[in-house]
Amino acid sequence: MKNLEKLLSELQVQKLQTQTRRHFLRDCVSKVGGLALAPLLFGCEIGKDGQAKTGLNLSERDLNPLAPLPPPFAGKAKSIIYLHMAGAPSQLELFDFKPELAKLHDQDCPESLLEGRKFAFIRGVPKMLGPQATFSQHGQSGAWVSDYLPHFSKVVDEVAFLKAMHTDQFNHGPAQLFMQTGSPRLGRPSLGSWVTYGLGTVNQNLPGFVVLTSGGKTPDAGKSVWGSGFLPSVYQGVQCRSKGDPVLYLEDPSGMSRDLKKNVISAINQANQEDFESIGDPEILARINQFEMAYRMQIEVPEVMNINDEPEYIHQLYGTQPGEESFANNCLLARKLVEKGVRVVQLYDWGWDTHGTDKDGSIDMGLRNKCRQIDRPMSALLLDLKQRGLLEDTLVVWGGEFGRTPMQENREGKVQGFKGRDHHTDAFTMWVAGGGVRKGASYGITDDFGFSGVDERTSVHDLHATLLHLMGFDHEKFTYDFQGRPFRLTDVEGELIRKIIA
Amino acid sequence: MIQFVFPLFGRFHPILVHLPIGILLFGIILVFLSRKGQNTHLASIRLAFLFGGMAGVLSSVSGFLQYRYEGFTWDSVQFHFFLGLATTATAFWLYYELGKKEDFPSFFKAKSAALVALLMFTGHLGGNITHGETYLIEPLPAGMQQLLGYETGENTGPKLPAEGWEELAYYEHVVQPILNQNCKSCHNAKNHKGELDLSSYEALLQGGEDGSILSGGDAEASALFARLVLPKEDEDHMPPKDKRQLQKEEIELIRAWIALGGKTESKLGEADISVETLEPFMEKTEAPFYPSAEVPPLADETLKKLKTDGFFAETVDKESAWLMVSCVNYGQFADADWTKLKPASDQIAYLDLSGTQVTDQILDSIQSLPNLTVLKLNETDISGEKLSALQSNPNLKNLYLNKTQVSLPQLKALQNHPNLAKVFVFDTPASADESGGVFSFLLEKGNYRLPPLPTDTIVY
Ligand code: HEC
Repeated sequence: MKNLEKLLSELQVQKLQTQTRRHFLRDCVSKVGGLALAPLLFGCEIGKDGQAKTGLNLSERDLNPLAPLPPPFAGKAKSIIYLHMAGAPSQLELFDFKPELAKLHDQDCPESLLEGRKFAFIRGVPKMLGPQATFSQHGQSGAWVSDYLPHFSKVVDEVAFLKAMHTDQFNHGPAQLFMQTGSPRLGRPSLGSWVTYGLGTVNQNLPGFVVLTSGGKTPDAGKSVWGSGFLPSVYQGVQCRSKGDPVLYLEDPSGMSRDLKKNVISAINQANQEDFESIGDPEILARINQFEMAYRMQIEVPEVMNINDEPEYIHQLYGTQPGEESFANNCLLARKLVEKGVRVVQLYDWGWDTHGTDKDGSIDMGLRNKCRQIDRPMSALLLDLKQRGLLEDTLVVWGGEFGRTPMQENREGKVQGFKGRDHHTDAFTMWVAGGGVRKGASYGITDDFGFSGVDERTSVHDLHATLLHLMGFDHEKFTYDFQGRPFRLTDVEGELIRKIIA
Repeated sequence: MIQFVFPLFGRFHPILVHLPIGILLFGIILVFLSRKGQNTHLASIRLAFLFGGMAGVLSSVSGFLQYRYEGFTWDSVQFHFFLGLATTATAFWLYYELGKKEDFPSFFKAKSAALVALLMFTGHLGGNITHGETYLIEPLPAGMQQLLGYETGENTGPKLPAEGWEELAYYEHVVQPILNQNCKSCHNAKNHKGELDLSSYEALLQGGEDGSILSGGDAEASALFARLVLPKEDEDHMPPKDKRQLQKEEIELIRAWIALGGKTESKLGEADISVETLEPFMEKTEAPFYPSAEVPPLADETLKKLKTDGFFAETVDKESAWLMVSCVNYGQFADADWTKLKPASDQIAYLDLSGTQVTDQILDSIQSLPNLTVLKLNETDISGEKLSALQSNPNLKNLYLNKTQVSLPQLKALQNHPNLAKVFVFDTPASADESGGVFSFLLEKGNYRLPPLPTDTIVY
């Protein structure tokens, strides 16, 4: 091919231009010696495919950072779908039924609850706010679920509830970071990055870690919640969209045909290959691999991100409308991605911050509308995974970054126009389902007001430890060396929640 | 003198001990740097031994005070103490010898070497007291530890069998292991926090500085239990709040043992405890998911070949020989490609051929996988006619036939398979078939619906 030869000779000229007399003289000395030594050191010259023959003993990972690795022990789960309700839903309206709280409705909050506490917005002595939902027990497990989630109440036997979760961050950004990266400060890798780093990915034509957002905004903490921190950046989440181009900048620019693109990539790769042969830097091979992967993804990503071809009953099950940016569409996509061998899928749905400052942010109206948007899709996701047998080895996690207070919010000491609750760190509910999780379990009990956990409290680190365990990792041994010390997702804490492990 | 001075000075011992070590070593190094007949350093060396000896006195005194006020037993510190005195005395003796002459006395290098040995050995014994005798052993690999005669992993808490636990001795199998794991580091024969030793039943009966800690039959009155249930912030709470805290099951087990009388003879079965309390400590005898047979791991070359052929191929975990193989990026795989998988016949435990070109013929080949545990044939042309072939895969547990042409009657061919637990037939003629039938495995037909509700469309 004429053009390619031109490119390569240009490369050659470029290199020569950077050569000076000094380089030449130095090379004369060192290379002659090197020539004599090379066979002794490496035993052979660097080969065409860059493998085996290099003598550099490159592992598969050096060439392809997403190459699969076996887990330390055979975990029950092979992939995770994490549904994060950004803004923090109220456990007191959804899962944590507190009849005693109803009796205290509109009375002053007892001093004992406020002593030594800090809240994001509550000042002085707020009023108690009784549950605004009607609760009943469901399924064989008798789990309490409110009328805000009528569809979900039919699938409760698939999930295990964590009802006494607690965190130590009461602002959205840090709390989201803490929930996703194990640290409220920037710079740590997210759960999804850790898992992708540890296991690589099954389908080499798709990213290993995909992020989908809905609700109109991305989480307050920004993209760091799916960032790779100090891990190599290939392990960060790839944000895909259910509306428009699934991945930005993946589509060929207009006027660029796929054949032309292929030629460009193979020419670049060949030039890189030549470079590798003279320099021997494995980073170059990794780059060659990434170009090829991107090329393959161009075909496969739009295919898997297209929900139009799903049968009608599936659309009805999820309540999906192709072309929208919605939680429902994202749930369906999550199933499709996991089915195709994607390791981690993260869904962020924004709009759960119900302070009662306006109608959308009210506990009795806005929250109901929000629940309507997720109730059917998340229940459908569980059922769809179940009927395909995917729930056997897929973990599904649901929750916010903290909980909400049993007190009515009184921002600036004033009663709000709508019913709302403030941020609360001491007690909230999450649930997990699927691979290796004990179905129908409920762990953790809160006090009569749902203010604090009184038994079986679960920290964010405990949750992470358990999720890693289910994926086949010992959270205490899964480390990455950075700045001179090994780091863990769970820092120096975390106990397995054995009672929710099947 | 004011009372706090002695204990306070005692606590400076860990710092003070470094003085004689540093000063004496400095002197000794100078000794070894000096040539015979050359005495340029002599004055400095003399001074080093003098100051070293004085620092030795300070160390010994503070060490003795620490022993007196910090709950160490004499047995555990005596050798360290005497060696410390010996080191101090030797330093003074060498100082004295140097003082007499203008040149080095005879055998001075040998004597200095002996002093180094004394210093090192004294220091090592001291380290053993503060850090525990296994301090230097712990970082070694388990194999090397055993070689040196140390037991590994002894303090891991109770371990109970799922069956027959009722007959086990309550104290020996439950209480002592809990104490070993959580309390022994501070309450043992050497480290006597609160003058309490919890390393054996006899020692426990001795009680601590406030007397007996066990009153059989009454848990609330026994400090052994009462301290565990104090609020974590209380300074009498045990274990101290920065240490691993007891799980509520462990506390309950201590309570029930005291309630039972607090004796060594009692059996676990006699106590008033629920099985759930014991469950966290039971060794899960749950059968492993993959076969227990042993096969040699696949050669690296063969594994590499599978990958270059286009398969996803990886062992199920780092230690295991069982192989997961998937065609997720190899959609063109067809019956004839089976030869590529043959070298791994013994190792393949998980095979995913979903979305490939395979037909019923493939089942004849699959038959030859003795350890196959999970088989996925979703979205293929499998008609269901040859399913009976899978009866020859004795280890098969989960079978996926979603979106194939299998029908309900055909699944009868899998009836009474020895291990088959779950069969998935979502979106097949079988899933649409309402006629039912009883199967020896769980049949997942799917077709889940969430019927519309009136509330679905309400917007507030
Ligand atoms: C980190 C060290 C440490 C650990 C671990 C520890 N203790 Fe203690 N313990 C102490 C100290 C120091 C005291 C003395 C101070 C006091 O009385 O509170 C003490 C005192 C006690 C006493 C009172 C003794 C007396 O008669 O005054 C009891 C009983 C006791 N501990 C029980 C336990 C039990 C049971 C455990 C394990 C579950 C445990 N301790 C673990 C440090 C520890």
